[in-house]
Amino acid sequence: MENNQFNLSFNDQKTVLLRLMKYTLPFKGILAVGFIMLIISTIAGVATPYLVKIFIDEYLTPGVFPESEIMWLVIAFIAVQLIGAITTYMQIYLFQYLAFKVIQQLRIDAFDKIGRLGMRYFDKVPGGSVVSRITNDTEAIVEMFIGVLATVLMAIFMVISSFIMMFVLDVRLALLALVFMPIIVVVLAVYRKYSANFFSHARQLLSDLNAKLAESIEGMKIIQVFNQEDRLSQEFNEINEMHYKYNMKNVRLDGLLLRPAISMISVLAIALILGYFGLLSFESTVTAGVIFAFIQYMERFFEPLSQVSQNLNIFQQALVSASRVFALMDDDRLEPAQSEDAACRVTDGHIEFRNVTFSYDGRTDVLKDISFTARPGETVALVGHTGSGKSSIINLFMRFYEFSKGDILVDGHSIKRIPKQELKEKVGLVLQDPFIFYGTIESNIRLYHPEMTFEQVKAAAEFVYADKFISKLPGEYEHRVIEKGSAFSSGERQLLAFARTMAIDPKVLILDEATANIDSETEEQIQRSLERMRKGRTTLAIAHRLSTIQDADQILVLNKGEIVEQGTHDSLIRYGGIYHKMYQLQNGQQ
Amino acid sequence: MKVFKKMGWFFKREWRSYSVGVIMLVLVALMELIPPQVIGWVIDRITQETLTGNLLMQYILLLVAVAVLTYIFRYFWRIMIFGASYRLGRILRSRLYRKYSQMSPAFYQKRRTGDLMAHATNDIQAVQATAGAGILTIADSLITGGAVLVTMAVTISPKLTLLAMIPLPFMVILTSYYGKLLNRGFKKAQAAFSMLNDKTQESISGIKVTKTFGYERSDQADFRRMSDDVVEKNLKVSKVDALFDPTIMTVIGASYFIAIFYGAQMVLSDTISIGELVTFTTYLGMMVWPLLALGWFFNLVQRGSASYDRIQEIMDTENQVGVDYKIEGQPEGDIIFDLGAFNFPDDESDGLRDVRFAIKKGTTVGIVGRTGSGKSALIRLLLREFDTVNPEDIKYGKHPLRDYEISNLRRQFGYVPQDHFLFSTSIRNNIAFSNPGMDEAEIYHAAKLSHVHEDIKGFTDGYDTVVGERGVSVSGGQKQRISIARALIMDPEVLILDDSLSAVDAETEEQILANLQDSRAGKTNIITAHRMSAVSHADLIIVMDNGTIIEHGDHHALMAKGGWYHDTYNAQALRDALESTLDDLVLKEER
Repeated sequence: MENNQFNLSFNDQKTVLLRLMKYTLPFKGILAVGFIMLIISTIAGVATPYLVKIFIDEYLTPGVFPESEIMWLVIAFIAVQLIGAITTYMQIYLFQYLAFKVIQQLRIDAFDKIGRLGMRYFDKVPGGSVVSRITNDTEAIVEMFIGVLATVLMAIFMVISSFIMMFVLDVRLALLALVFMPIIVVVLAVYRKYSANFFSHARQLLSDLNAKLAESIEGMKIIQVFNQEDRLSQEFNEINEMHYKYNMKNVRLDGLLLRPAISMISVLAIALILGYFGLLSFESTVTAGVIFAFIQYMERFFEPLSQVSQNLNIFQQALVSASRVFALMDDDRLEPAQSEDAACRVTDGHIEFRNVTFSYDGRTDVLKDISFTARPGETVALVGHTGSGKSSIINLFMRFYEFSKGDILVDGHSIKRIPKQELKEKVGLVLQDPFIFYGTIESNIRLYHPEMTFEQVKAAAEFVYADKFISKLPGEYEHRVIEKGSAFSSGERQLLAFARTMAIDPKVLILDEATANIDSETEEQIQRSLERMRKGRTTLAIAHRLSTIQDADQILVLNKGEIVEQGTHDSLIRYGGIYHKMYQLQNGQQ
Repeated sequence: MKVFKKMGWFFKREWRSYSVGVIMLVLVALMELIPPQVIGWVIDRITQETLTGNLLMQYILLLVAVAVLTYIFRYFWRIMIFGASYRLGRILRSRLYRKYSQMSPAFYQKRRTGDLMAHATNDIQAVQATAGAGILTIADSLITGGAVLVTMAVTISPKLTLLAMIPLPFMVILTSYYGKLLNRGFKKAQAAFSMLNDKTQESISGIKVTKTFGYERSDQADFRRMSDDVVEKNLKVSKVDALFDPTIMTVIGASYFIAIFYGAQMVLSDTISIGELVTFTTYLGMMVWPLLALGWFFNLVQRGSASYDRIQEIMDTENQVGVDYKIEGQPEGDIIFDLGAFNFPDDESDGLRDVRFAIKKGTTVGIVGRTGSGKSALIRLLLREFDTVNPEDIKYGKHPLRDYEISNLRRQFGYVPQDHFLFSTSIRNNIAFSNPGMDEAEIYHAAKLSHVHEDIKGFTDGYDTVVGERGVSVSGGQKQRISIARALIMDPEVLILDDSLSAVDAETEEQILANLQDSRAGKTNIITAHRMSAVSHADLIIVMDNGTIIEHGDHHALMAKGGWYHDTYNAQALRDALESTLDDLVLKEER
């Protein structure tokens, strides 16, 4: 299970928030319009009680109703309502629009980063957690934008505008009302202090609970066979109990300091208002409308507070999520950099490894001072045990990793100087277990090649003899691949990968032969197509079955990162070394 | 509504919490009626100039009392109702876990882990919300809504109440209509999001292919297109979502307008006072939440009901393997397979037929054969993952396997599965899985027997190394040997190694097998394997093919027979021999 972090330091929160806010900059216009709408809707909101106040004090109490003035008041009331409704709508929609656009940009940036990260990164970080960075964590930030930022903004506007109106109505009372401010601030600060703690505990426990459950479901067979149902059930219940306790702490805290407390304070505020106006009425006149309006403003003042303080938990979670997304974007395990020179092109496919040394971890060298040359059109076979370094040679040639010493030359140019695009177009790699994408047979051969015609796709399939099994599928090239091609045999998947590579017609071919068992019929097709593919192409091939590389121009036997034997099949057999033994071993098996 | 009936057991159990909670809610509703009245009185007294200091003091004290009491009542209903709902979540979660741990593998074959997880997370959450927020919303709408409505009608004016209420139903109708639209749009947005999720997943799994072909840009363009779709679908939801607030505002505005318009006329005709009009409008504001709550309530109940049914469906699922038993004691003696035919449920191909042999107590039996020949099926039947048609098909001692209590039966077996599943806890806890109280010496002993002690000592944290933690890699072979130690530590009557030596090299295999022979004298071992060397010392070797026995006997008998075992054994022996000479050669080269 991945280690979830639930809290950030205050400084980290600030940095993350600022960085997140920068994402809103491209949407300055929308942000500005949203703000204007927010301001208008807030003004409309505070105008309503004021209009009612005017009606009560100027017309209702004296009992005079000049028709045209009342008409204007009614029109004003309706206009304020309509403007309020429209601007509220616009403001909510615009802020949500902003949130989705910002998150989209964040997602795109994070995804683009994936393309730039090197294999070093993917070796270390489980795929599931990368996915969750790009999708789930960003989704949590959406919640923040919509649920928190917009609410907080609205709340701030509402509190400020209500306060201004209170000042307009009665300065002394407004000042008096200020005594509630420190009380509210203290209550909410205490709430925040405990709530952040309880909330993150409860969340951690819930995540533990789910992790425990998921693991138990996966390992249920073992749990049952070892008769440990009761013990694990008890362990689960213990976490369950803890989780309940923290939830109850949250409920109690909410009860003590949040909504009930805020509503108590608002009733006390009414008492204050009535008391003030009551006393005031003994010495001067107090109008009903002012009392009415003042109470209305006071309520608007309290209403958003509890909601906002509750939402702050979401806000903190979102910042944690955002910090994880940013950590992905800042990861420096990038793919090897190219210092591209457009003049460096792959023309003939002459490959030279010159004293190449490489290490995955910077400590143990997995390739030591490797040198060899493959002339255009030649096939060089790499053989050796697992861990001998043959896959590393291919990984370096594909630029999945950066080598530390020496150089790899293609047609005399350092591989680091050849433009990436050129390299990808001219070098075709067939992976051991080819990944089959969601889509059809055709889309799996074509991949992202919109200009490739269907004929070219078909020709590639025919070239590698994949058409045989494709023609038997329902829908043939339109056949939909399910579950990553699990319905195909490994041989069939291999043929698809061949076709995929042949479709781009590379100059240099890199083969990583499959070790999996392949049925004999497909095996024959694979051998035939391999032969065909290699013709006229410089080929580097990792061979597990020595029978397939007897006609190679050169065989390199690798052991612990070094070339220990080198030559043709015949010369190596005559030499009578490791290759000879390996050959015997495999033939003995058949 | 049926869901409340189905959850009756819970409400019965928690009747105290709910009664107290609802009484508190009623008290809160009553308390909330007071401040608007006081506001009206004060305004009237002020305008009529009849307010005295004494009276004002009484009003204020009344409000302070109301504030404090409301605070107390509110606090308690929260504890009562939300507390009860959390207890429901706790009970359901615990029951579900219990149920899961009772279910046989057939259950897990039919259901995906994700779904089983969803029942324990989302579904329980939804049911919990029904028992908490659901009860709250309905109580709030009925009690507060009703109380306010009655008070408005009785203390001020029934006619004005009726008039002012006219716009409010529109709010309920509109918001529930938006709710429906929102739901539909939300589902589409969810689907788009999950497509994006799949896309990301695929891009990361296929990263090597993408890098090979240099298609990063196109992949990114594809992602961009799909993220556009997510935005578009979500904005459709936003368009509806943004309607809620303005609609509510407008409807309430209309209601206020009517109240003040007609109220003013009533004030002029002296039917009500100005104070009463202010009281009335304040009450009007209090009607909003109860009405909205009504809409939420139906939504909550709908979701909770569907979730409750899904949970109940799991709870009602019967175990495929019977749990009734006839014999109290531990099974003992020989294990006899006398199996005519067996097919796995929902699978016609992987059958067994005519499998008849005896595993004598204290002997070692090897089972070999190609993948899919039925080796593992025999083990699965023995572990009662599935039951045979006929009870007499498999007997342990004198009685059919299923006559024993399942935990008594399992106690006899030490099982090492093919897939060497370990729990994400320390290696120590993994080995002592069958009994966490095991002491160090026993754990070390088991680890030594399975030839993994030295490996574990080599880890930085030794036996405290947590399996599966980032940065710590326990190899497949090591995991396999740890899971052998986990079974050996029980010193079981019957040790079952289900192809459990596949990831260890020939030398280690030999040593583990030798250790087994020494330490398990008089106990039964059942070993399935792909390598013949793992079973060659067995007292009886069964060769399976296509679900039936094709050869049986000990090593010598089978070698003499010259069949499948003979051929496979020789081929593998030759290979091993060559491999070791090759290793020698490589070693020589290095020197």
